[in-house]
Amino acid sequence: MSFKRLVNVVEVVAGVAALVFIIALFANQPSGGGAASAAKSGPGYDVYVSNCARCHGQEGQGGIGPQLAGQVTTDFPDAKEEEAFVRAGRDGMPSFAGQLSPTEIQDVVAYTRTELNK
Amino acid sequence: MTASTAEPVARASVPVKLLGIVLAGAAVSVALGVYGRVHDPTGEKPYTLFFSDTINFKVWFATAAVFLAAVQVLLALRLYGKVHIPRTSPPWLGDAHRLTGIVAFGLTLPVAYQCLWALGFQSTDTRVLFHSLLGCFFFGVFTIKVLAVRTHGLPSWLLPIVGGTVFATLVLIWLTSAVWFWREFGFPSF
Repeated sequence: MSFKRLVNVVEVVAGVAALVFIIALFANQPSGGGAASAAKSGPGYDVYVSNCARCHGQEGQGGIGPQLAGQVTTDFPDAKEEEAFVRAGRDGMPSFAGQLSPTEIQDVVAYTRTELNK
Repeated sequence: MTASTAEPVARASVPVKLLGIVLAGAAVSVALGVYGRVHDPTGEKPYTLFFSDTINFKVWFATAAVFLAAVQVLLALRLYGKVHIPRTSPPWLGDAHRLTGIVAFGLTLPVAYQCLWALGFQSTDTRVLFHSLLGCFFFGVFTIKVLAVRTHGLPSWLLPIVGGTVFATLVLIWLTSAVWFWREFGFPSF
């Protein structure tokens, strides 16, 4: 096989791969349970879904960020510590001081320590 | 008369081609941005390939893509006669230029997929916002480059400018992700 032909083949493979990834963006469903999420509600839940779930998972199971469910009260025995962590950010987690109001931070921390922590 | 009326049509075709190509690239960028914003980020790790963690695979794939893109730029400089090493341009240089670009693009695909599907378009801080915008812009300008290569009659300055923009964007994406990760967490393992 000539070099030119090899490059043509690689180009076709890359094109197909791009197509597969585009289809997977829409077809691939998350493995986390959607029904369980739907059952939860409240201001803390809304803040969590909008700001935290993308890294910590819908159910707090972890993902890009560490697991929270069943873990957060061990890591932060005091809720005030967790609130300070959310405000300041650290170890790759961004600061949410400019994104969330103090009340929203309190709500989301309460949510992670109660419903999400079950 | 016939020739004078046909001529303006022929001249106008280049701007029309350019506009079509730019609109196609813009559509890709906007589509990715909209998907990233509308799609609920899963926060999951869809794959790690042969790496110990998703973030490690992303850092290494992005770094490899930047390396190959840099090689591609060097090959382009030789093709355009801006550098003279090697002294005689080998006949396979153009295909090598294409191959490095295709493989670099292929390496960005699983990284971009994980970013879009698991994280989405984020604006939690300046770096993250900048990275999200650049990620969408990259695939748009890459589309423009691919279409420009395959469209005849375009100005000769277009490809170097678009190719340089693709490379610069990829480097900025890499700086706001892989290099940031190195600085925050140290050099990643495999």
